[in-house]
Amino acid sequence: MKLKVVTKILDANEKIAQENRDVFDKHRVFVINLMSSPGAGKTTLLEQTIKALSPELKIAVIEGDITGTDDAVRIDALGIPVVQINTGGGCHLDASMVQEAISDLPIKEIDLLFVENVGNLVCPAEFYLGEDVKAMVLSITEGHDKPLKYPMMFQHSKAVVVNKIDLLGYLDVDVQKIRKDIYSLNPSIALFEVSCKTGQGIDGWIDWIKTGCLCRRQ
Amino acid sequence: MHEVSIALSLLERIVEECEKNGYSKVVAVTVDVGRASGIMPDALSFSFEALKTDTRASEAILTINDVAIKALCNNCGSEFSTEDAYVFMCPHCSSNSFTMLSGRELNITEIEVQ
Repeated sequence: MKLKVVTKILDANEKIAQENRDVFDKHRVFVINLMSSPGAGKTTLLEQTIKALSPELKIAVIEGDITGTDDAVRIDALGIPVVQINTGGGCHLDASMVQEAISDLPIKEIDLLFVENVGNLVCPAEFYLGEDVKAMVLSITEGHDKPLKYPMMFQHSKAVVVNKIDLLGYLDVDVQKIRKDIYSLNPSIALFEVSCKTGQGIDGWIDWIKTGCLCRRQ
Repeated sequence: MHEVSIALSLLERIVEECEKNGYSKVVAVTVDVGRASGIMPDALSFSFEALKTDTRASEAILTINDVAIKALCNNCGSEFSTEDAYVFMCPHCSSNSFTMLSGRELNITEIEVQ
């Protein structure tokens, strides 16, 4: 007996992601799924972002890591609600992990939720978590060849923070090529060249988030 | 690496469909995998074989249909396809504004049950 079923393989994940989405819609939370390779500066970007936007916006963070709580401790030090997910080897977060984490957050009071995904340039882009937007960090120390080597993440993201530009004079990296390749993969992406260490260029990223939160509340 | 998660979702989905329709086992399943889906067919097959034991799909044969990338250029309106895993620009006018028509599939299309 043959059954004709046209369904997405990741149907189960999409259903739970939609349930997450419903919770975010109900409480008008703007949710950013933040992705990058390990060490690109996601947590440092979050620290800077929280300092710039809190207490104007009520922020919460879900931290995804294979193991450990180092990132959650850093966010907790800023007085922000944070939940750590340990995937125990899994290379990405999925919607059910996020669903569980949401239940531990005061979601009714939150304006802006960051989901910091597991450091990985490949898999996280595949799994919808219920977020409004995917955003990513690429640090210039990773080299200018990364956009064309890992195109999917750049194609799925609405914003990219090109981080560590304070190191520009010390590296043989072609930032012009990074810019050109990212736009060729995704012409409408918002691109910010930033140093999370010095704060250079962070204003554009902050304004982009504020706009997202404003649109969400209307 | 995430082919394991995909294979697990696939198995859960086909076993659920089999039970829902009152059958006892899955003997075959066909899936469409787009070239730009980010999935390696070999890794998906390998994961499926490893995970299917001790399930209602333990004897299931997995067939993977490779779906080519097709896109419609938003600038010159031409439809084009490519063998590459990613489209960077329209081959006719070099615009990089285009709409993907196919290539991102990750779908189950048919399940054979007994």
